[in-house]
Amino acid sequence: MKGAKSANYWQIDHELKNLCPSKGAEVLKSADAWENIPWAREYFKGKPKEGYFIWVKEQTDSPIFSCVSISSDKIKQEMQNLLVVEKGLQVKLQGTCSSLQPSKGGIHKAQGKIILKDKAFLQYDHVHSWGSKNVVWPEYDFILGKEAKLEYSYKMISSPKDIKVITKVELAEKASCILKLAADCRLIRAEMEDSVFLKGKGSSGQINLKIVAREGSKILARSIISAQAESVGHLDCQGLLVDPGKGKDQPVLKMAPQLDCRNSKAQLTHEAAIGRISSEQLDYLRMRGLSEKEAIDLVINGFFAA
Amino acid sequence: MSGLEIKKLKAESNGKEILKGVELRIKKGEVQALLGPNASGKSTLAKVLLGSEKYKVTGGEILFDGKKITRLSPEKRSKLGLALAWQNPPAIKGVRVSRLIDRISKKKMKKENPFFNLAEREVNVDFSGGEKKMVEMLQIVSLNPKLVVFDEIDSGLDIKRIGIVARMIKKELVEKGASVLLITHSGEIMKFLKPKVTNVMVDGRIICSQGNFNKVLRTIKRYGYERCKKC
Repeated sequence: MKGAKSANYWQIDHELKNLCPSKGAEVLKSADAWENIPWAREYFKGKPKEGYFIWVKEQTDSPIFSCVSISSDKIKQEMQNLLVVEKGLQVKLQGTCSSLQPSKGGIHKAQGKIILKDKAFLQYDHVHSWGSKNVVWPEYDFILGKEAKLEYSYKMISSPKDIKVITKVELAEKASCILKLAADCRLIRAEMEDSVFLKGKGSSGQINLKIVAREGSKILARSIISAQAESVGHLDCQGLLVDPGKGKDQPVLKMAPQLDCRNSKAQLTHEAAIGRISSEQLDYLRMRGLSEKEAIDLVINGFFAA
Repeated sequence: MSGLEIKKLKAESNGKEILKGVELRIKKGEVQALLGPNASGKSTLAKVLLGSEKYKVTGGEILFDGKKITRLSPEKRSKLGLALAWQNPPAIKGVRVSRLIDRISKKKMKKENPFFNLAEREVNVDFSGGEKKMVEMLQIVSLNPKLVVFDEIDSGLDIKRIGIVARMIKKELVEKGASVLLITHSGEIMKFLKPKVTNVMVDGRIICSQGNFNKVLRTIKRYGYERCKKC
């Protein structure tokens, strides 16, 4: 994986390849954190087998990188990751999870907990790039303290055989989050569940979900914003169907946006649409010299960028 | 023959015949005009010429520089040097004009370009009619084509912009040896570009090809396209 050697946490299969602290942040194996940092135990579900523990204790200007890959068929990773950002600190995290041998299988299971203490800020760019035989189950819980801010971007740039992604965010008073979730799906069975719970007064949350469903993909995406206090939430779900094949190759995309309002002063809104690439767009781009595949890729890149 | 030759071209869409035996020749470096009432088949001819898969060619053939291109894909025709400036180009969300131009021409858009202000906007998203035409012009010029069909490039443009577009066509295309077919309803753009031949299309056929554009336009304005049928 390009750049993996400079990652603060780098793991291939079950083997830890690199572990280095960043200025202001402690980086450990989760199992070592379990052993040596008593308060960390409350966030793990039992003693971790593998995974990283990152504790941002002082302001750091450099981003933190994590890189986890699968390269063998019979691997089943069971990651438990924990990131804690102390009060008022700002941090950038770039995480990559991928397959190094796209033709091989292997399972990646990850449970992540991200704790942003009061007034902390996290910008997290998370990229998944899998092989067509991988099975992937990531589950991430974000807990935001008062006035904490989260900008989370998740991109699945190549799809595994099967994926279930669960993303959950809980917000305290005046905390805010923006989730930008994008998945380019082909020959995949995918379930995506993302939830934002606006628990504190003055909190705000936004989910922008974009899914491209190509041949043979069967996708169910459920998104929910739940307002339990006076708060503001917006949900935007956009889907794009490509290559509508026949029979089992026909992509199926189901998007289920849901607003759950339990406070009369909360404002929740949503928009949702599933479209397709028009033959007119393809004609137009092909007449400019792009092949059909290049034209489709350009439109899809535009869909994600818009 | 060097240039374009269309012989007895027939094409249909959803079972409806639109082109009913079109004959047209455009020599290398020649400017020609194509007039015709609405729904006479002008835009269809332009798209069939560029290989749109929306239409089915049911007869005849298209030759470009002596090579049969009737069954070629749109991208192959583009690579041979054919281009079309669309009348109503589609919007492509999230794709910047500069990105598209880089992609199709492998040339970066220069800051000196008079339309550089459009470069960072998404292709045809919330564009005015005039802005769409300008972006069409930018793309066409960047492709460095051998033959261009302009489908009503002058519609929706004010007089000043018609002049800018016409001068661009002349300087960037005609003077570099490209052939041009201008589909138009008005004669304004022809004040700048003198077509050698003016063709009139009615009901899926080119029924008249003459040298004097102004004379043909005057006749149409005065007597309508019915007179052309009798010409």
